[in-house]
Amino acid sequence: MYNSIIVDYFSKPRHSGDVIDANRELKIGNSVCGDTIFMKIKVTDGRVVNAKYKAYGCATSLATADIFADYIIGKSLAEIAQLLAHEIDSMLGELEPPQMHCLNILHDLFEQILSEA
Amino acid sequence: MVSMQTAMENLKELGFNPVTTAIGATQQLFHWDEAKVNELKGYLIAQNFQHHYENNKFYRMLCEDSGVTPADIQSLDDLHKIPLIPVTSFKRPDSHLLLSTSLENIEFEMRSTGTSGIPSISRRDAETLNNCVFSIYAMYREMFAFSRGAGLFLFPSPEEMPEMGMVKVLNMLSGLFDATRCLVKRASFKPKEAIETLEKWQNIHTRHIIGPPFLIYKLVNYLKTNNIHLKLDNKTMIINLGGWKRFSGMEIPREQYNKECAEYLGIPEENVRDMYGLVESNILAIECEKQSKHVPPWVHFSLRNPKNLAEEVPQGKRGVLAIFDPTSLSYPGFIQTEDLVYLKKENTCECGRNGQKVVYLSRVAGAEIGCCAINLEKHMDAAEEKSQMTEV
Ligand SMILES: [Zn+2]
Repeated sequence: MYNSIIVDYFSKPRHSGDVIDANRELKIGNSVCGDTIFMKIKVTDGRVVNAKYKAYGCATSLATADIFADYIIGKSLAEIAQLLAHEIDSMLGELEPPQMHCLNILHDLFEQILSEA
Repeated sequence: MVSMQTAMENLKELGFNPVTTAIGATQQLFHWDEAKVNELKGYLIAQNFQHHYENNKFYRMLCEDSGVTPADIQSLDDLHKIPLIPVTSFKRPDSHLLLSTSLENIEFEMRSTGTSGIPSISRRDAETLNNCVFSIYAMYREMFAFSRGAGLFLFPSPEEMPEMGMVKVLNMLSGLFDATRCLVKRASFKPKEAIETLEKWQNIHTRHIIGPPFLIYKLVNYLKTNNIHLKLDNKTMIINLGGWKRFSGMEIPREQYNKECAEYLGIPEENVRDMYGLVESNILAIECEKQSKHVPPWVHFSLRNPKNLAEEVPQGKRGVLAIFDPTSLSYPGFIQTEDLVYLKKENTCECGRNGQKVVYLSRVAGAEIGCCAINLEKHMDAAEEKSQMTEV
């Protein structure tokens, strides 16, 4: 049911927590089913130096938040903007139909981080 | 006679699972005497405690903090020593710590959403899900003995909300009925359609209505306002699950509800039945014909002093409910709820069944007013307001 990427990031989250000196915030909220992510990011000179989050929801959405944070840390916003849609799609590995909504969450996170840049 | 423990160990040796064996004997267990049931519950819960102690690092730490090991849990008298998981833990971002197995083995994530919008997620592996399905169907069969009929479902279809606990549990009834119709669509419900459906089924099926009280009450109120008196069937059941406290804060008084259901739906009052369940647990306590909510006989309810949750209150007194559910393997089913309840003083019932009988009172002060039903009501109210605005 869960691929090895999701199992790994869900079971050993690397970036769960808070960034006190964050200067960017991303938020994912889905009113009925309730998958929710609050992400705090510190960007310095156009580069992500730190990202941490609090996530509530299904295991795949929790792993998605961690995978996203893991990816963006250390990268410049310009680098992140280069990502192609199918490269984003592949970050979560193969998903079952009830997990597919997490791809929307992931794309939404990328859109949010680039939109205010 | 062999002791319970020896009998259970023998069963295990033969390859039977004591938990599923107990669930399969639901009807008999309701008629066992108290001491024998307690011996069985004590054994099952002690075994289950050992499983979590050995397989769950986080839970073991909790046990070590309170100085409890499996050797300390031998019978029902020792259960108060078992560390409880606060129900709010299922909403925490670090809820992965609750698992007694790897996510790889998880088959189903069930959710419930309260008014805060933060979901409570419980994750079940195959064996836990088996136990959960067996438990719920065993209780449905025991209390309702459904094998036919038609169910008017006043809750969203699982197609719209596939992981919502209340929907999943109520929808399991569809496997016992011949016809079902789900009348809550995209957060709206039209009482007129419900009446038409009930009329269409007349003289073909015994008709039942199932849903959270606020929606069934909506139908009854519509009948009342329009002075319509339906005459459903003698064996019609009105089955309720979900909060009696409405999102608007108004409580639906149970007695008035029973009377009005009887008057406007044309059914015997005792056929209005309430159920108590918890998404995080595999239990469903269901009312018998005497409207007493029977706790499944393999589960133990313990009531705690609201000011000191470590202290048990005597039977008959109100307290905060703690559940010991031995059917949960993927996470500890030893749950400290936020529900204020009491257990009826006698463990016997006019219906002939023995065992604990629970009466739900309210949420504890300060707890989020939350359950699937209230969140659903909130969304339906919002949708209704929106549609009224566009109609104007
Ligand atoms: Zn009874």
